[in-house]
Amino acid sequence: MATQGRGEAGAGGRRKGSTEAGSGSQLCCGLFDMSAHQQGTELDLSWISKIQVNKPAVLRRAEQIQARRPVKKEWQAAWLLKAVTCIDLTTLSGDDTASNVQRLCYKAKYPIREDLLKALNMHDKGITTAAVCVYPARVCDAVKALKAAGCDIPVASVATGFPAGQTHLKTRLEEIRLAVEDGATEIDVVINRTLVLTGQWKGSDFIKTSTGKETVNATFPVAIVMLRAIRDFFWKTGNKVGFKPAGGIRSAKDSLVWLSLIKEELGDEWMKPELFRIGASTLLADIERQIYHHVTGRYAAYHDLPMS
Amino acid sequence: MAATRTASRAGEIFTTLEYGPAPESHACALAWLDTQDRHLGHYVNGQWLKPEHRSSVPCQDPITGENLASCLQAQSEDVAAAVEAARASLENWSTQPGAFRAQHLTRLAKAIQKHQRLLWTLESLVTGRAVREVRDRDVPLAQQLLQYHAVQAHTQEEALAGWEPMGVIGLILSPTFPFLDMMWRICPALAVGCTVVVLAPPASPTPLLLAQLAGELGPFPGILNVISGPASLGPVLAAQPGVQKVAFCGAIEGGLRLLIQEAVWDETMRRLQERMGRLRCGRGLDGAVDMGARGDAARDLAQRYVREAQSQGAQVFQAGSVPSDSPFFPPTLVSDLPPASPCTQAEVPWPLVVASPFRTAKEALAVANGTPRGGSASVWSERLGQALELAYGLQVGTVWINAHGLRDPAVPTGGCKESGSSWHGGQDGLYEYLRPSGTPAWIPYLSKTLDYDSFGLALPSALPAGPETGPAPPYGLFVGGRFQAPGARSSRPIRDSQGSLLGYVAEGGAKDIRGAVEAAHQAAPGWMSQSPAARAALLWALAAALQRREPNLVSRLERHGVELKVAKVEVELSVKRLRAWGARVQAQGCALQVAELRGPVLRLREPLGVLAIVCPDEWPLLAFVSLLAPALAHGNTVVLVPSGASPIPALEVCQEMAALLPAGLVNVVTGDRDHLTRCLALHQDIQALWYFGSAQGSQFVEWASAGNLKPVWVNRGCPRAWDQEAEGAGPELGLRAAWTKALWLPMGD
Repeated sequence: MATQGRGEAGAGGRRKGSTEAGSGSQLCCGLFDMSAHQQGTELDLSWISKIQVNKPAVLRRAEQIQARRPVKKEWQAAWLLKAVTCIDLTTLSGDDTASNVQRLCYKAKYPIREDLLKALNMHDKGITTAAVCVYPARVCDAVKALKAAGCDIPVASVATGFPAGQTHLKTRLEEIRLAVEDGATEIDVVINRTLVLTGQWKGSDFIKTSTGKETVNATFPVAIVMLRAIRDFFWKTGNKVGFKPAGGIRSAKDSLVWLSLIKEELGDEWMKPELFRIGASTLLADIERQIYHHVTGRYAAYHDLPMS
Repeated sequence: MAATRTASRAGEIFTTLEYGPAPESHACALAWLDTQDRHLGHYVNGQWLKPEHRSSVPCQDPITGENLASCLQAQSEDVAAAVEAARASLENWSTQPGAFRAQHLTRLAKAIQKHQRLLWTLESLVTGRAVREVRDRDVPLAQQLLQYHAVQAHTQEEALAGWEPMGVIGLILSPTFPFLDMMWRICPALAVGCTVVVLAPPASPTPLLLAQLAGELGPFPGILNVISGPASLGPVLAAQPGVQKVAFCGAIEGGLRLLIQEAVWDETMRRLQERMGRLRCGRGLDGAVDMGARGDAARDLAQRYVREAQSQGAQVFQAGSVPSDSPFFPPTLVSDLPPASPCTQAEVPWPLVVASPFRTAKEALAVANGTPRGGSASVWSERLGQALELAYGLQVGTVWINAHGLRDPAVPTGGCKESGSSWHGGQDGLYEYLRPSGTPAWIPYLSKTLDYDSFGLALPSALPAGPETGPAPPYGLFVGGRFQAPGARSSRPIRDSQGSLLGYVAEGGAKDIRGAVEAAHQAAPGWMSQSPAARAALLWALAAALQRREPNLVSRLERHGVELKVAKVEVELSVKRLRAWGARVQAQGCALQVAELRGPVLRLREPLGVLAIVCPDEWPLLAFVSLLAPALAHGNTVVLVPSGASPIPALEVCQEMAALLPAGLVNVVTGDRDHLTRCLALHQDIQALWYFGSAQGSQFVEWASAGNLKPVWVNRGCPRAWDQEAEGAGPELGLRAAWTKALWLPMGD
């Protein structure tokens, strides 16, 4: 796996609803015909040069946020369900095939056992994951499986030489076009970090902590810096940029901390799948286990819950 | 099954995404109170002490008002019993090897670790403070304090050779932070071999719990004794025979003043308000709460301040999720207070922040230093040069750059001005409970007959006493770099030991003291900003001048009745003192490395400012120089009253200083000692006062200086061996001649 840099400044990006690949932009765009997307704003690099990060303070805040907002009992259950609706249920393995992608899609449609949702009176709220996320070559399989399951969960595809992004612009653009042709409606783009490190930034609808394939992925200190950049941008332009932490988020407790981090730094309006996604593959299983425990008062055995 | 219970609200919470209650169980705190049948006494000598016929006060949950327990109020006999226990165990405890005491402290740290949940729930339950504050900060810090001081105890024999423990320490705690206050002070005291009697405020069980944990460790039950009672018992504690020192911490208001540069005012206020809006206020024992409550009294105080500020035209912003019922008060940001309004002068109560704009850094510094308080401050700026300039200029005990509220056991925490003059933590904290070996123990003797109103008030009238024999001494008061006639325009005769007249010196008075202090203040900025090398050079130049003047000084001393041999030694030693302090100027500050912080903490030794010194009668030249030299070396400017019986050698030195030193750096006022002492002690703009004279004079100095809490050093009538290295030039003088400031420099990009 490629592990250049830590991608602290947002090594992934996503753009929805644009109709063409931005002019020579290394931050490419997916097609998403329905949703409104960023109106965009003049690129003002002086904003970036003025950014100051007080690292010790950020580290302290990151430590505090994990201890200061515990959510318990039915609040925990409700928050965990909210986390489910923000998950980009992901499989990014070299050995993905149609069958495991199909299973993933089914799990995306039915993330929590029906009887558990019923017990919480949430069975009719359409709880699904926010999207399924696969490699470009598996987009076809995913679209087919979701269609068969009768749902409109969007298919997101990583593209553009994922995870390193070190391929030619031409092939990267082509990769996006192909994924979109196959039915992907959201594209996770690896930005060209060569350009980033030399200060040549581009805009985005969504920013992502990292590809999830790095040695260090979504960490709270990095997230705090990114979230505050999102807030500043919102204050300056009125545009809301989304945020997606990915990689290493495995426990239900982690997902609660991420939600409270969003709530604390950006507010409730960001706590929805349109502006917040969690890129994860095994997180959902732990959330389901916690909800099982909440509902039944027992810890689930491995076979009690369907696998994805 | 849980399902039916939870079904009702999950959907609603899913939409609102609100936080729910996250209560910490306080069952263990209640269980502990139950072990005492909800009736707390005092903890003395390893046992609970519950004397009969005492009044008791209820210990209440400040939020619900629920009665948790009743606490006995101590009376004088209980204080005496506690002090007796501490005295009895002092001998055994202080003579243990440091390594042994270190082990004992480590065991106490372990005991705290084992019972930390009990500690934090109890503290949060009875104080109403947010549990996360106690759990995440206070309890770990308490353990670190014990561990740090265990290490200090372990190395005591080498690192603190020449010092011995003071003895029994009395400690009076504030009602706001009894637990941590106590830890900061008992750790160094116990480490160096003192034993402690703590007077805890009424209805605060945590210190009692801590004493129990310490007492149950075994062999030394009497080293930590806690009695609870009203602050009015403080004088009783201080007057107990055997109590060598009383440390106290007053109420901490906890509000903040914020100075914001105009250019970033809007942006800062917006971010501040945004952040305040996210604060959660509620029951302290809720794990998701940022701010607890501190009871009705604190809320009323805040309420009054806000009303007053509003009536004076201030803007008040309140936010956060706060229960509407008493005793909660929302975090409050007050701005646009007119500069002259009474609120601007008053101390800001918790949980308020008063923000005001400034134009230049210089202006900010003037505003920040223009208060009688000198505890701590933080500087926020991305311009490191400017931030450091401000940090160095702030007259406070602790400055954080781009951070706030960090604490570490290795960093001395203290203050200046009315925030007190003692230090906790670090090396400085240890010296608070040590005295140079061989110093006589303090006998708590207060003369009831001393009349504070009239002490030193009357000036003796001086009459002509005959012609001067031999060469006339230099005449006048040495103020502002030259000899001046005294305001009273009168003189006092100086006689030798046989009673024959040596000459006349000027009779100084209140106006001369005022003039001398003014001159010293004028010289202060120049002298403080001198490099250590320049200060050393000047002290050495003075030493050389004294050496040149040796025959003259020796003959002056002889005429005062000093033997020739002794007189020669006195001059030689005086020269040596000046050289020695000149050499010590170099090594004063240092950088500390602190756990959990990348970046250094600078420990700076700051000049006190204008230091007044009343010299002893004995060793008229040596004592004068021994006191003057460390004061100058540490950057102070000085007003001195020389020996009353033999002021003439000191005046001879002034003739040299007139030529060598900047004007006003040293000012010497002769006259009636008691009268001049009175003038100095009652002067509010003197930053410290050293007095070597009678017991009565010492008592007066301590009483009068309490007005502005200026640090004093008095000898209570005990003579000092100025010719001995330890007492005449020991580290004690250096410690007394400057105050410590900690400057935190967190790094990271």
